[in-house]
Amino acid sequence: MERPKSKFLKELAKGLGNHQEKDSILREYEIHIDEIFMESQDCTNEEELMERILSRLGSPDEIAQMWKEELSVTPSNMKWLFILLNIIFFCGGSLFTLVHNLYKWEWLTKLWNYVTAIPTLIAFLYLFFWALLGYEIGRGFGHGGRRLLRTTFLLSLIPNLVLMVLTVFEIIPHGWFAPLLTRTFIIACILFTVVLYPVSWLGYRWGRKASI
Amino acid sequence: MFNRELVKGSTSLILLQLLNERDMYGYELVKELEQRSDNGLSVKEGTLYPALHKLEKQEYIECYWQEQEKGPARKYYRITDAGRKLLLEKTREWQDFVQVMNKVIGRSSHGTAEE
Repeated sequence: MERPKSKFLKELAKGLGNHQEKDSILREYEIHIDEIFMESQDCTNEEELMERILSRLGSPDEIAQMWKEELSVTPSNMKWLFILLNIIFFCGGSLFTLVHNLYKWEWLTKLWNYVTAIPTLIAFLYLFFWALLGYEIGRGFGHGGRRLLRTTFLLSLIPNLVLMVLTVFEIIPHGWFAPLLTRTFIIACILFTVVLYPVSWLGYRWGRKASI
Repeated sequence: MFNRELVKGSTSLILLQLLNERDMYGYELVKELEQRSDNGLSVKEGTLYPALHKLEKQEYIECYWQEQEKGPARKYYRITDAGRKLLLEKTREWQDFVQVMNKVIGRSSHGTAEE
């Protein structure tokens, strides 16, 4: 009667791949199958027993798929996804600014003029990114996401701070950001940076509500 | 039997509710759920463990292994303070939803289809 259990666990092990929690997961299913065995005195042969296991637990493939989904949401993946997204925003913006200032292409100048005419809209869209960061962490990691939120926020903020330093110390020529770099715009940028964490925190609280 | 998606969406809430009463291991949770719902809420038992893992990752529950006098050690789950707080919040939300739905479909808050 051990054969159906071994077969099931072997298939599940194959489906789980090489995850570090694999042994602990398999051990729990093994104990569960043992309990099913104790209740299955009516099964007269191994086929019936296998059928009972499958009807109650589900197929090993189905279970492995659920585990893959669950195990793919890790703090590290989530953290690097948002850090990378923010770096992409910055690299995109930097490249846009650099090419616009170096090459003065007509179509790019038109696009530049259009984008610099709607800084408030862009700032609000960017705030949405930070709210989304908080929301996804809250939804995926619930109460356990507080530390992850702080770490991800601080690491994601590095490009913002670097740009601020480069601009303040004029390592990047102010003329490059014309006509954006006015006193009002700089104050608005500082204020927006200050509210980024509260916005992420609100997003996190909202996501936490949706975590179960 | 109920809609599969409806049951799936309520699994975490049910697990938190059961664990709010006492620490339990996986198989015990399944049996308790079947018994209380008169087999009306049956889930594929294999799907229970990823759901428990998610709750553990979210710090709403925690686990520990306990040796048995007979047989192998079992993995027990217990609710955390954050889990209790969330359970309270979600139970209220659920009750409000049921109340509103009953109003909308024109029945008293504890009414049945026959009333």
